Amino acid sequence: MISFEPTEDQQLVRDTVASFASNQIRPIARDADESGQIPDSVVQQAWELGLIQSAIPEEHGGYGGDRSAVTSALVCEELGYGDLSIAMHVLAPRLVTYPVLELGSDELRKEVLPDYCGEKFVPGTAAVMEPSMGFDLNDLQATATRSNGSYKLSGAKCYVPLGSEARHAVVYAREGDGTAAFVVKTDSPGFEVAEREKIMGLKGLATYEVMLNDCTVPASARLDGDLKPIFNRSRIALASLAVGVARAAFEYARDYAKDRKAFGVPIAQKQAIAFMLAEMAIEIDSTRLLTWEAAWKLDRGEDATREACLAKNYAAEMVLKVTDNAVQVLGGHGYIRDHMVELWLRNGRGFAMFEGLALA
Amino acid sequence: MKILVAVKRVPDPNATIKVRPDGTGIVTDNLKYVVNPFCEIAIEEALRIKENHGGAEVVLVSVGEQVCQEQLRTGLAMGADRAILVLQDGDVEPVIVARALAKLVEQEQPDIVMLGKQAIDDDSNVVGQMLAEMLGWGQGTFASEVKLSEDKSSAVVTREVDGGLEDVEMPLPAIITADLRLNEPRYASLPGIMKARKKELKEIPLGDLGIDQSVQVKVHKLSPPPERQAGKKVETVQELVDLLHTEAKVI
Repeated sequence: MISFEPTEDQQLVRDTVASFASNQIRPIARDADESGQIPDSVVQQAWELGLIQSAIPEEHGGYGGDRSAVTSALVCEELGYGDLSIAMHVLAPRLVTYPVLELGSDELRKEVLPDYCGEKFVPGTAAVMEPSMGFDLNDLQATATRSNGSYKLSGAKCYVPLGSEARHAVVYAREGDGTAAFVVKTDSPGFEVAEREKIMGLKGLATYEVMLNDCTVPASARLDGDLKPIFNRSRIALASLAVGVARAAFEYARDYAKDRKAFGVPIAQKQAIAFMLAEMAIEIDSTRLLTWEAAWKLDRGEDATREACLAKNYAAEMVLKVTDNAVQVLGGHGYIRDHMVELWLRNGRGFAMFEGLALA
Repeated sequence: MKILVAVKRVPDPNATIKVRPDGTGIVTDNLKYVVNPFCEIAIEEALRIKENHGGAEVVLVSVGEQVCQEQLRTGLAMGADRAILVLQDGDVEPVIVARALAKLVEQEQPDIVMLGKQAIDDDSNVVGQMLAEMLGWGQGTFASEVKLSEDKSSAVVTREVDGGLEDVEMPLPAIITADLRLNEPRYASLPGIMKARKKELKEIPLGDLGIDQSVQVKVHKLSPPPERQAGKKVETVQELVDLLHTEAKVI
């Protein structure tokens, strides 16, 4: 009944992304964090891997590849292992293409998807989170009101990745008692992008506050159908990214502990450190299994809300614990920017708050 | 134009290799396997020739066990057109690989056979050279640059030799083996991986090629390199200089 064997294709995809993450992403992660910029060349190279285009059907210019949540979980973990800011940047177009693929009308798919199948990286984004207390996906403060065959969107959004350069944003807002999603062209009147946010982690990723001032969109921009699978998919993506970040921190701390000597032996041989490392490995693997289960269930077309929520919540706690322990294993060195662990701790802290910030 | 590229399955160069206690081989449990990095460079070069010289068919060949198809798939995902797997269990010694390739060259009639200069597992560095000898073709080994003539009748291969570079020109068909600096291999793309599944991967048992399979080399024992001895601490510069002179004999 249970098999953890990836298919041959999944294995190849994972190997490819893993090698890209280790060789192209990781070496520039510190620079991206310090400078707040991700080099276009790396973004373009990631684009050429076809992470976005491959899932888009051939009739819209893509390759009609599989849209398995399990494959996405594998991809997200490897990208997160490379660097979270860069992972979220290169995956950002998925925030548009995935919901449009799943829930867009034929008309909307025809209009939007070909934009994301070209030779060059095209940024896309989603406006999900809000700067209000008690943020809840099912009780958003931003509103959508229907009038004369169009919708008016109003409210404030925050943590909108690539907000200032994105071509489209999927805006989530309250409509009546529920949540609805709209594909908004970012040059629409009333879609106003504020200053780039200054945040604790994810410093390479440009995120923005966005004001919706009676932003009017045609009725056809509304995504039609149940948003639950989209939210679950996002939870799985976030959980997998968190597993990747935690694995990066764990491996770094493990290698450091094997190398660093105190009292004549590597500190990894001291129980205080060895137990901590074992605990970290257990936490990471448990979270991965929770996440894979959620992804597997989603792939079967079942409601994976429970599993996806468990995975995402556990991942948020896990990544904080693991990255914090990694800093601890390195002792005084862990607090210095010469080592990556402080960056992973800052990035990992965000998962407790992120909702809908990634899709894959 | 047709380019045949040899591909070898080898342990991940980043993996820690352990020798089995009885010295009969290495510990393969949980060992990850990849395309030999030099073969990957050879594949990339073949693809570039294809892209820059108005098309070519790139055919991959591997000799080994069934699992070698994983590495062939990787090459197909990078963009090669089809693959041939010559099936044989256990280690296949270089001269037999060269004979198998020579046989396939007879069948496929390629214009170029590209190989890695050596595999990173046994570091033999002989298959390309032996193949050239068997076929009576010119060879450009340790290539750091490959230039084809306009009419694709000859190639100039820049070789990395001790203390410099050497350009050799040879008529095609020819053997070219890739060195590290020849190019930087591309990543397989997701669409490439999807397409790879539909590409032809033909399997031929080694026995069917009708070549001489007599074993000429027997591996007696593998042993790990000796552990590095700890360094020595000296009190004075004079002592250091003396030791460099008398013990290390470097000055």
